[in-house]
Parts: sequence; C-alpha cells; structure tokens
Amino acid sequence: MKYVIRLGLSIASATLLTAATDTYKGSQCEDPKLSPAQQAGCKIWFYATAGNGRFHTYVLPQRLPVLLNWYRVLNSRERPDRFGAWGIINDPDCCTPGAKGCARKSLAETYGMDYCPGDDELLKYVGKAGYRDPACDFQDAPADPKDPHKGQRESNCSLEFGTSSGAMGIRKFPNPRFDPEKWRKLNGGSENWNGFTALVKPDTFHSKLRDASIEPPFYFGMSCGACHIAFDPLNPPKDAANPKQENLKGAIGNQYTNVTAIMASGEATNSPLWRIFNYVRAGTVDTSAFPHDFTGNPGTPNAIINFDKRPDFADEDLVKWYKADHCASGADPKTCWCEPGRNNKCWERRHKLASDPMDPNSPVKHILKGAEDSVGLLEAIQRVYINIGSCSEPCWLNHLTNFFVVDPAQRGFGQTPFNIGQCRRDCPNFRAIEDRLPEIGAFLVSQRPTDLYAARGLKSNDELAAQLDKEFGVGSVKQGQQIFADNCARCHSSQKPDASGSFANVDFRAADSNGMRVDFLSNDQAQQVSSIGTNRSRALHSNHMQGRVWEEYGSITMRSRPPDPNIPDPSDGGRGYYRSTTLLSAWAQAPFMHNNAIGPEICGKPKNKTNDFYYSPYVDANDKPLPNPPPCWAYDPSVAGRFKLFKASMDELLTPPEKRPRKVTLLNEDIVIEAGPKIWDPIAKKQVILRIAIPAGTPQAKVGNLLYKQIIDDLTLSVTNFEALKTKLKDEQAAKEVRGMVDEFVGSIDAPMRVLDKHDRLITKYYMTSTDFWENAGHPFGTGLSDREKKALTAFVATL
Amino acid sequence: MSTTPRAQSSKGMNNIVVFVLLFVFVVGAILVIRKFLNPAPDISFAPYGDPYSSKTDFAQVEYQFPLTAEQRMKLTPKNIQKFDQEQVDQIYARLTAGPIPDGPHDGDLFFPKGITGRARLAEILGKVKGLAAGLELEKLTILGRALWKGKVFYRDQRVLRNRIDHLELLAEFFPNPAEEAKVREISANGKTDQLYFPAKLYCGQSLMDSRRESIIIDYAFTDEIEGYHEIPDKLAGREGFLIRDEVRMVRPGFYLGRAYMGDGFLLNFTVYNDAAAKAGSDAFAKTGKPAAEDCWVGPQKLAANQ
Repeated sequence: MKYVIRLGLSIASATLLTAATDTYKGSQCEDPKLSPAQQAGCKIWFYATAGNGRFHTYVLPQRLPVLLNWYRVLNSRERPDRFGAWGIINDPDCCTPGAKGCARKSLAETYGMDYCPGDDELLKYVGKAGYRDPACDFQDAPADPKDPHKGQRESNCSLEFGTSSGAMGIRKFPNPRFDPEKWRKLNGGSENWNGFTALVKPDTFHSKLRDASIEPPFYFGMSCGACHIAFDPLNPPKDAANPKQENLKGAIGNQYTNVTAIMASGEATNSPLWRIFNYVRAGTVDTSAFPHDFTGNPGTPNAIINFDKRPDFADEDLVKWYKADHCASGADPKTCWCEPGRNNKCWERRHKLASDPMDPNSPVKHILKGAEDSVGLLEAIQRVYINIGSCSEPCWLNHLTNFFVVDPAQRGFGQTPFNIGQCRRDCPNFRAIEDRLPEIGAFLVSQRPTDLYAARGLKSNDELAAQLDKEFGVGSVKQGQQIFADNCARCHSSQKPDASGSFANVDFRAADSNGMRVDFLSNDQAQQVSSIGTNRSRALHSNHMQGRVWEEYGSITMRSRPPDPNIPDPSDGGRGYYRSTTLLSAWAQAPFMHNNAIGPEICGKPKNKTNDFYYSPYVDANDKPLPNPPPCWAYDPSVAGRFKLFKASMDELLTPPEKRPRKVTLLNEDIVIEAGPKIWDPIAKKQVILRIAIPAGTPQAKVGNLLYKQIIDDLTLSVTNFEALKTKLKDEQAAKEVRGMVDEFVGSIDAPMRVLDKHDRLITKYYMTSTDFWENAGHPFGTGLSDREKKALTAFVATL
Repeated sequence: MSTTPRAQSSKGMNNIVVFVLLFVFVVGAILVIRKFLNPAPDISFAPYGDPYSSKTDFAQVEYQFPLTAEQRMKLTPKNIQKFDQEQVDQIYARLTAGPIPDGPHDGDLFFPKGITGRARLAEILGKVKGLAAGLELEKLTILGRALWKGKVFYRDQRVLRNRIDHLELLAEFFPNPAEEAKVREISANGKTDQLYFPAKLYCGQSLMDSRRESIIIDYAFTDEIEGYHEIPDKLAGREGFLIRDEVRMVRPGFYLGRAYMGDGFLLNFTVYNDAAAKAGSDAFAKTGKPAAEDCWVGPQKLAANQ
C-alpha cells in the first residue's frame, strides 16, 4: 500500500490530461481512467458517511443542541430550488415522485423525499431492523503487498453509504425506530413532515423538532462530498438545478455551499445557535462550529488539485501513529496497540525522529488555512470524517465544549484532546475509514487543475493568451507574467527562484515528463497574519493547540510558531498564521481569500424567500449598513459566469483595502437569549425570565468571538481570589475593573449586555478571541500597480 | 449591545439567587447526615483534579476501571450519595441504560458535592443586597425533597409521571390550586401519592456522556400527555423550568439519574423499585448484564461484551 498514492498518481497523470476533451459521461467514480484504488477512494469520498447519520439525527438536536430541519432542506417538492437556497447540488440519478419518468408516483411513498437508486430496498426497512447497507457490497481495491497490515481492513459495511438523499453528498438510511402510525398521526399523512417541524410556543423554544421522542423515517448522513462535490468548471451544467453526472467533480469544493445554514435549518434566525452555526457567506463553512472554539472563522472548502505537487514539509516535528506489524510484549496500549481478532494489525505511536524519512504514505502538507493539519495527509483526511460527525458519540463529543457548562471544574467547560488511539479501538467506523485512507488519498491527489483554455474549448494556453490579450490589451499576458514573477511568486509558486532570488525566468505552467504541471502555485509556507492583513479570525482558530480537541492532528512545529506581535488578539500556541493559497485555476475560484470576502457577494436567490439567507455585509466607515449596497451576484457556474466573477474579484483584490467596499457582517435582527430557567415569583405571582437581546447592528463576530465563560469565571475569581485574578490578567487595574463589573452586574442584573458595552476595551482585550470584524481587509500586494499593470496581471492569472 | 427585559422583576431575579443559595444549603445538610450512615462501597476511580481538563476521559475510565457486577450490586440509593460529583459521574458513565423501567419507583435526590463552581457562583450572586432577607428555606426545601417521592414509569406507553405528596405545600406558587380536577393517584408500599408532571420517555442522548444513550425523561412537551394539568405540570415544561432527566441502570430496579434545567445540570437522583430489584438481582449478579438493553449501547460497550 506504500506506493498506492504515487502509483495511482502516475496512472492518472497519463489519463487525466485528456479530461478536458474526453469527458466521461457517467459518475466520476466510474471513470475507467481512474485506477481501481482511485475509484475506490472516489466512492468513499462521495458516499461514505462512516456513521454520522446518528450525529445529524440525535446528537445535533439533543446534545449540542442545534435543530436541523431535513424536510426543509431536502423535501422533493423544492428540488428545483435547493441549489439557490442551500447551494445543494442535486443528484442527477434521483427524481421527484410523481414527476415524469420517476418510478415512484406519490410523495407519500418516499415520505416527501426524492426517489433515488437503491430506495426500493431501503424503503422496505423504514421502521424495521435488518437493512443491509450498500457499502457492504463495496469492492475494495487490492491491497499493497508491502502493507504492514497485509490488507486487513475493517468491514466495509462500516463505511455506511446508504442511498442518495437527492443531494450530492447527503445520504439517507432507514430509521429502524420509526413508527409509521405515530408519524401519520403527527403529520396528517406521510407525504410531508409538517407536524414534526411545526412551530411551537414559546418563540425561543421554537420548534416541535425539539421533541426527541419522535423518530423520523430516515437518518441523514454526510459524506465529504457534501462540501467538496462541485460543478466541473470545464463542463458546467446548462441548468444548475438539473446537472448531469458529467458536470460533477468530487474535489473542486462547492463554491456555493451553505452547509452551515443546513445544519441550523431548524433554528429561528434570531436564536444564538443560528448565529453561531450560520455565521458564514455562501461557499464557506465554519468547520469549528461543532468543535466550538469561540472564534467565528468560516472558510472555503479547499480546491484539491495538483496535491502531489504541493510542497511537503519533511522537517515537521511531530508525534503520530504509524502502522506496525507487531507490538513489544507488554507494550502500553497507549503507544502500541494491536487490534483484537486480527493478525498483527498493529499501530505504534511515537515521536518522529530527525533521522526518520517522511512517511511516504502520508507526507506532511499544510492542509488547513493556517497549516494546522500537519502530521500527515492521510491523518488530515481522517480528521475531516470526525469533524463531520463520524464516531461523534464514542470518541468526540465528550471532548467538546458544552455551551451550558460555565463552571471550570465541570466536564464540558472547555475542550480536551480527541484521542486517536481510543477512537481506533472503540469505533469501527474510524477503522473503516482509516484502513482505506491510501485509496482516498490516491483519488484526491489524482485531481488536476482546470484550465481556462480547456473550459473555453481552445486547443492550447497560447490560444487563450491571444484571447486575453485581445480583451486586456496587447501583450497583457506576457507583461502579467513578469509582474507576477516580481510581485506574487515569492508566495504563490512552489518553484525556486534563481540565484539572485528572481522568478523572472520561471515557467509557472511548466510540466513534467508526464505532462503534469509542476507548480502548485503556492509555497504553502505559513506566515504571520499581520504580514498579510486579511481578516484574522480564521488564523486565530485554536482547535489544534495543546489541550484542544485536535491537538493530536497538529505538529509540534506548528504549535511552536511564535505569536504574532503585531495583532492585539492572543496568538500563542501556533495561532495567528495563514499559509499561502494556491492560484491554480484561480479563474474558477472567485471570490477570493479564505472567507470568499474579496470580490462581489454571491447569492442564490431562491424562489422560496424563507430560504434566502443573503443580506448585505456592506458598511460605511463607521460600520453602519450602507443604505444602497452593491447587489449580490446570482450564482453562475458557467465558464463565462466564473470568469466575470474572477475579473471583478481581481479588481477588488488589487484595490487598496481602504478603498474597497467595506464588509462587516452585522446582525440583521435582534438575537434573543433567555438566560436561565423561568422562575416563579411567589410575590408577583407570575413567572419571570431573564431575556437578553443583542441588538441588530452588532457585528456578528463580536457575538461569536466572545469568551463568555471566561468572563463569568473571572467575575467569580475577582470575588473569591482577587490576587489570582491579578496574576492571571497580569494587570491590577484590569482585575479591579473586573471586580467593579460584579457590582455593576448586580446593580443591573437584567441588563448584562449594557455592562459589557460599558467595558468594551476590557472585553476586547481579555475576552475575545478575535477583534477583527473587517472581512475583506488586507492583502495589499499589487494594489500599487498601475491600472495597465493590474489588467496585465489579471490576464496572466487567468491562464494559471 | 443593550438589554430588553421582558416581564422580569428584581424580586424574580432575587428568587434565582435564593434558589442557588438553597442548593448550597441543602447539599451541606444532606451530606453531613449521610456521611455517617451510609459508607460508600469500594469502587475504583480514575484520578482527577479540580479543573475540567484534569478529568480522565470516560472511555478511558471504563477501559481501565470497568464496574463489576459485584460492585454494582453493592451500590444503593443511599450509599451512592457518599461519592463526590466526579465519582458519581464516573459511575454513571460506566453504566448502560438497561431496560426502560416499568411501574412505580421510589425516588431520592442529592445535589452535587465537591463542585466548587456552584458555591463560587452563589458567592457572587450572594452579593446582591437583601437577598438573604425573605429566605423561605423550609418551604423551598420541601419543594426539593419532601414533595417529590418518586416516579411511575409507563413503559408500554413511553410515558412517566412523578409521585408527588403534599401538593398543598405548593399552594403559594399557584394562583388557584382549587381548580385542579381529577388527579391520578398511585398507591405503593402502603402510601398513596398523586401523579403530576408527566413526561415523555425515550432513548436519547446523555448530556454528559455521549458514548451511549440514556433513558430520557423529557418534560418539554408535557402538555401533550394524557392527564396533563396546566397547574402545576407546566412548571416542568418548555414554558417552565424546561426539565430533562436522564437515567441509567445501576442494577435491576435501581437507576441513577441526572436532572437538567434549561440544559444546565441541576442535581442527581435515584429511583428504586424493590420488587424489580429482587426479581432481577440473581441473574444480574451472575452475568453482569441487564435483562435487556432498550437503548443504543455504543460500540465500546458492544466490543466489551463480545
């Protein structure tokens, strides 16, 4: 298995080069140009939920607790509107019962959902045990003969494919606990979920979805494809709501996804949980929403292209698990463990030594925006499965922050580290994925850039250059290349400059002997966020720090990075960095930056306006909403649409930050929090409740980034142990101010937010993870170029 | 940011503080008395300190220190109160839900011991001037302990009702208790209790230990259950205290529970049925396994049982 990735890559290199002109007409995973390992990896990427159906059905609404209204998202009546509302890509193989050509004629037959391949069998088991998951029939690729585990894999059933929900990447499973009679009584039939999703009083309780005694007919789970499957820029659909299989690719990254809105689709828009989980713009997702770190940091799903040319970091210092074929007698299972019932299928956890060669199976790459997933490519893939709910109950949730625990002595006050060894031991779904990571990796590294020349049906990049010169001015592409070499390549190239440090003679589109482009168009080096200047919240993401949930997925090198001295927010423990992003296929990846914030705002404009989540983030210099903001651009995945968005985004990128149309997302309605239980006042003879409203117009990040637990803890400490608080804050005046806040809270106990406002400086200094609310700031590089030079640079970047 | 209060009064807020202070008082009183009467059985615990980060993950606790049937058989509703809260938590995490109980169960409750945060929070809130005045400790103590006598599980209906005694003690809290219509009653062990606070009964997520399901007693939609009386049942529902209980089986007939209020942990409780205990104990002592597992036990327990 050692060479599965690289072998798969070489096979792909010889075949995928022709993809632009030889598009396979079926599902990408069936493409005969993929090797068996790549095909297997593709299917896991597209279909495997690894057990996260329970996460979305039970954990999310009961434990976190966030309501997800699957009927609102997936009901088949609104199939044509899904893309506009949620960024969902419809599965071409599914249909609406009753529609022409659909084998099922009534929505009652599918409980209001799409009818998809495999559903004839699945529907028999709604409300019954015994369903045989299609993953049980999944054909594994042949094992590598050098695999230390000799091809021993966890049962493929634990991959848990289910059948399609009608949305790419969202899978469904029959719920054996479902009671059809109870369901029909609640909903007045089987074709809708209206009773199950009904609104209830009081408003802050919101929905009947909170009645966990009712079991829905299906579990819905998510594969990686839910966020990563996207329209192929080379072959976009004519109708975005009705794509064909050949229009879809699994590793591009869905630029229109609104997956966090899906996750909170059962919540009221004025609830704090909606704001925490839907704190995003289209095409981004806050991957630390569930493993919450009180840092709102939505980011785009990375385009997974040319990964084999992505820089490796062989010198990264780390501790991780390695495959082994035995453990020493009496070994501590925390450091060496063999799976019971197997033949020497063992894992050894150890510190990587300087003399160790980098694991060829899992080279260290800087995967996340801040290079946090830094112990190996395969481990980075595995972590994503956990982060989308696989093994959430046996391995993950007990390590997460519980919003309602404010006592630092209680479990759940803060995060504790996820334990890879424990999860491997206790969760079959973890092992099912882990044992097939080389195949997933082989698929991902086989994905190639999407060239604009190919998308336009041209024969070569030279023809494209001619077109661009015509549009941007004679000689633009050539001039742009020189500007790029002088101003951009230092960060946005993985090739080496000449001895003088110049990139002038570098061919950024150079190909190797297999015809594959050699430049990843990023050096992938992590840089302090202040040197880039873009919104720093994502860089301050803290889940890979020591003691936090993803500690085991971060390298020692990463955590040893020095804090950024030029920002006011805490940036210790490895925080405060962005790695350079790749500019491969940049023409198809706008808007720009990790948060999609530089460039026009994009929106889906669904017909069902209750599912239209867009509102303007444009503000004036005083962070007040613009009365007449620029309109959002409707989603347009066509070649022309992507190129138009690219040009507008480049234009904004090359505009000095202070002259860009400023974006700060403000609350567009009051957030209502009911703090504590309702109390019966025997004197007033009525129930009273503390109700806090955070007013519309407050920067959303100011809410999401507030360390409210620390505030409560320090208020307590100021009374119980003032000296300890002084030591903690390293500032006696600050400690005194905290102590004074206690009396102010007591004096106006029903208006705590007023107290926080009064002490804004203290709060922002000590109790916020990120005080940067300006979303399209920074990256001033190139803004000083002349208009002519900017056009030339834009033309050249379009060729990349 | 600003605040928009709704229907709150400083008296009402004072009551919150009174409640918190009361918990501290009751914890002390109960524990001092029971310390001498009910020695705790010998059970191993993973090491722990005060901060949350010092507590051993439950998966590891169970892996290293599995509870034996013998240890579980020695636990009683009285002696389990001997342990501090982290020890109670570690016991709870090593239990499974077992079968959903049926019939009347005697109840007892005990507040967290060994948690400093509540006391610290109370200290903060205790700074509110005048809070100490008007404390009606006796009545509020009755609310917590004398009023609640146990639970009646209607397993087949997936419904539960609480056994309440001396409802008249709640009179001050309800505008017009005379409006009460027919109230269900149950007689057990020669004593008759009235049944209030109906709740839904199902398998669901534990709010403390995610690794396996617990039996959930959910009052949120109490108004949908037959025999619901707005007064006083609404008090526990979604327009009241929003109570949610969860229980796991210690041994046949004996369940350990956790009560939550608005998603915040409130107290521990036990429910016990002597007949069920006697009927199931022999088999459990031999096998260490419940007669049934009605809820999802999770893969760690599944693997351990194989």
